[in-house]
Amino acid sequence: MGLVIALKLIGHSVRRTRIDYEADRAGCLACGRCFEYCPREHVRLNKDKQAVGDGALGRNNDSVEVKTTNQWYQTAFWSAVVSAVFSLIVVGFLMVNYLQIKVFDPVRAERLELLKLKIIDHPDDVLFVQIRKLDLQIRQDRIRRQNFSYRASFLLLGGLAVFVISAKLAVTFKKKPPRPQPYPDRQKEQIRQAIQARSTITVGLAVLGAAVLFFATRPVVDFSEEPPQKGVWPRFRGLGGLGISASTNVPDNWNGSTNEGILWKSKVPLPGHNSPIVWGDRVFLSGADANERQVYCFDALSGKLLWRGNVPNLAPAGAEPVEPGESTGFAAPTMVTDGRRVYAIFATGDVGCFDFSGKTVWARNLGSPDSAYGYASSLAMYRDLLLVQYDQGAAEDEKSKLIALNAFLGHTVWETRRPIPNSWTSPIVIEVSSRHQIITCGDPWVIAYDPNGAELWRADCLGADVAPSPIYAGGLVFAIEPYTKLVAIKPDGRGDVTKTHIVWSNEEGAPDICSPVSNGELIFLLTTDGLLICLQVTDGTKLWEEDLKEDFFASPSLIGDRLYLLSQKGVMFIIEAATEYKELARCELREDCHASPAFVDGRIYIRGTKNLYCIGNLD
Amino acid sequence: MIRFGYIIISIAFFLIVCGITSSVPAAPMSRQLQAQAGVERFPPPDFVESGYELPSPTTPHPRQNIYEYVDAVVLLAALGLASYLVLKKRSRRAILTLSVFSLFYFGFWRKGCVCSIGAIQNIVLSIFDRDYAVPFVVVVFFLLPLVFTLFFGRTFCAAVCPLGAVQDLVLLRPVAVPSWLESGLRLFAYAYLGAAVLFAATGSAFIICRYDPFISFFRLSGSLNILVLGGCFLLVGVFIGRPYCRFFCPYGVILRQLSRLSKWRVSITPDDCIKCRLCEDSCPFGAIKVPTAEWPARDYDKSKKRLALLLLLLPILILACAWAVSTASDLMSRTHPTVRLADRIHLEETGKEEETTDASAAFWATGKEMSESFMQRPRISRPQLKPAAGSSEDFWDWSLLLSLLAILSGEQG
Repeated sequence: MGLVIALKLIGHSVRRTRIDYEADRAGCLACGRCFEYCPREHVRLNKDKQAVGDGALGRNNDSVEVKTTNQWYQTAFWSAVVSAVFSLIVVGFLMVNYLQIKVFDPVRAERLELLKLKIIDHPDDVLFVQIRKLDLQIRQDRIRRQNFSYRASFLLLGGLAVFVISAKLAVTFKKKPPRPQPYPDRQKEQIRQAIQARSTITVGLAVLGAAVLFFATRPVVDFSEEPPQKGVWPRFRGLGGLGISASTNVPDNWNGSTNEGILWKSKVPLPGHNSPIVWGDRVFLSGADANERQVYCFDALSGKLLWRGNVPNLAPAGAEPVEPGESTGFAAPTMVTDGRRVYAIFATGDVGCFDFSGKTVWARNLGSPDSAYGYASSLAMYRDLLLVQYDQGAAEDEKSKLIALNAFLGHTVWETRRPIPNSWTSPIVIEVSSRHQIITCGDPWVIAYDPNGAELWRADCLGADVAPSPIYAGGLVFAIEPYTKLVAIKPDGRGDVTKTHIVWSNEEGAPDICSPVSNGELIFLLTTDGLLICLQVTDGTKLWEEDLKEDFFASPSLIGDRLYLLSQKGVMFIIEAATEYKELARCELREDCHASPAFVDGRIYIRGTKNLYCIGNLD
Repeated sequence: MIRFGYIIISIAFFLIVCGITSSVPAAPMSRQLQAQAGVERFPPPDFVESGYELPSPTTPHPRQNIYEYVDAVVLLAALGLASYLVLKKRSRRAILTLSVFSLFYFGFWRKGCVCSIGAIQNIVLSIFDRDYAVPFVVVVFFLLPLVFTLFFGRTFCAAVCPLGAVQDLVLLRPVAVPSWLESGLRLFAYAYLGAAVLFAATGSAFIICRYDPFISFFRLSGSLNILVLGGCFLLVGVFIGRPYCRFFCPYGVILRQLSRLSKWRVSITPDDCIKCRLCEDSCPFGAIKVPTAEWPARDYDKSKKRLALLLLLLPILILACAWAVSTASDLMSRTHPTVRLADRIHLEETGKEEETTDASAAFWATGKEMSESFMQRPRISRPQLKPAAGSSEDFWDWSLLLSLLAILSGEQG
């Protein structure tokens, strides 16, 4: 563009002389309109006619002696008017038709969609007939409008063609002979035009430059921006499944009896032991019993139940009903969200996906899980994969598998068999040397997979009914064999790393349910009967232990430099995460709690056996 | 006087040509194709209650390859005839008749595709993308008018281009555009050509085709926005001759340069000019150059200094414009579908967009990692756009050469 503009300016600065009237070499479109204005052209034509002798001299001379008006002028004029009016009417009809297609038809289509959703929950013959009738009406109207549009386009084309022809004839019939005006001051005119042309080009350059710079400064997507860390608790134990939050201003004082510090409390319709998950201003839970499986969405600010979604029973006909243990229930696994949709799994093997407005996106059944106490592994996500650790039966049954579902459509992307009996742990996704690993625990293996389902490494170090989930801290993977030991494994191996990558193992006792938590230097274990143990991450040396004299099912959380431990009776112990035991506070909720809490933006979301609580400071 | 007869003749000729070409039997579908066509991705429902039987769907036959050559032959014939009518016969009526035929054939019958204007992009893409094979007919549509222009001037614009023909037909009350304004407005055509070449070279978009204002008319359907745009052009074209051709057409930019070098060209008079001035206001496109008066001596001095300054500024202007365009490369890269997809996926990943689009949903369904789309994006936005800026400079070098030749041959820019 710079070159073109410079050349144009140069061109307007070069002074050329011209003697005759010439067609612009570059700009002339060779339409031939100027031919008939030249008297020399008519001389040539008359000579040609004489040479040919066709006797058409009189007719051709019409173009020389152009009449000011023609007897056909009125006809042409009114034809043009009538055809223009006709075309405008057709355009009007086309616009109305277009409006109907774009504005009115989608409203009916939306009504049809609502009816279709309604019939899923409430099958009804009357509704069925209504849907069919509306669907047929919509299709008929659509086809009719399309046909009308097609035919009217031809009518419009015809009308416009008649208008153009008539108008051109009218213009021709009323053509006036050329009357050149008195000669202007040619010199001044030339200079003025050259100055104006240069100015226009310069202004054009400025306008184009400004336009380019304007568009250059428009914001574009910043790819260096990482997904938000604050404001979300998207899965079991938060981001990464580690039970850690960088949240500040987390309350340390509330009372369930006086409602002090409790911002709101909402009843959860169906029971479940799954933990709340949070994304922005939405809190999600699931609940289920033998007949129903539901997902709930609460408003994080007010606690209002915004919607509930039903996950249908999609077990194959004839499948035996699942009967999980009473302590596990039908809704033990915690949900997961990616900020666009929420995913839930239940003890029946039913999996459901909902968008944030509550609309069901997909649902499927993975088969009734063969789990002694009831299926309880929480969901995890890696990018667009929904990870389901589906451990079942005995190891020799070969039923256990790690399944990756496509989060958007629900189909199985891959599944990998596991040599594991039923377990109740949840997978986590970690990043080691810029590559991601899915860490899983079971009896006896801790197994790491890559995101395509291929096994990376395994370590034979666990046993019994494994329920505590693994964590990753200080460059080590920590796994727990219930009641027995805590194992620290380096995750950079390949194949069987039992003999090479187990850094240390502390066998002075371990939890059977609660997962550990660590700040990278210290790791904290919490047993079901209330023993809190602090170990060093580097070598597993026990620094201290403290009997809290309460039962705990919820896993501990590390918020800043504080441990938050929620007992089964709803008492929150706030302990300093340090090399010496120091209790900072105790807060009572007065309701039994089994689920691990969520910590987001200075608030704590606790699921009791009956209600969901939001603890926070009013400011 | 324009006669109905000529218009009827052109329409009749068009119908005859279409009749002949459509009477060639289409190639029957092979059995394999038929079998494949019969496999339905979405099986229809069974109408058990009513017993209704769905009629068998008909599959339209593909257009035979022979028609491509027919189009090329028709183009060649039209160009040859236009050149004859403009230079030899010098008949406005015949030129108009031929342009009506071109409008019907290349516009309504062939639905505006392939057109020479859009063919620029195909040629450019084939140069920059080795995997793209440009069809033969596209090469013909691109090259033939250029060759004819090199010899005979812009006879393609006169009576063969359907876009020019439709604008020419609606011109009823021409209003002269001041030359200084025309000079400035013509910059858009150069910018449009540069953008079209850039986006085609990077495989981002064919913007000439996307924003063809008359395509909706030719196809009698299309985007409402383009329909409105075409309507506006035609409305303006009633008063201002061929606005798209003069101020926007990217192919016209190339034809302008070539026609400066043409061996034969249009002359207003078949003989010596007698300066009767009768033709002064005859051209609705402002393409008639009037004789110049003597320039004052002081103006020559000023012009020499200005010329020297401009020659010095030439490389600075080129660099400045290249820098300005390169600053907008991030935004311009958004025209590329892969970059747009990467943007969308990142927005969804960071939670700034809750809904998915068809493209992002399809991407997620492939199971690819997001890094795969991100890895493509930097490769496209940086290397392809910056060298494309350089390639557009190559184009301008070519136009520089032609323009310098034009200046030397005594024409103003």
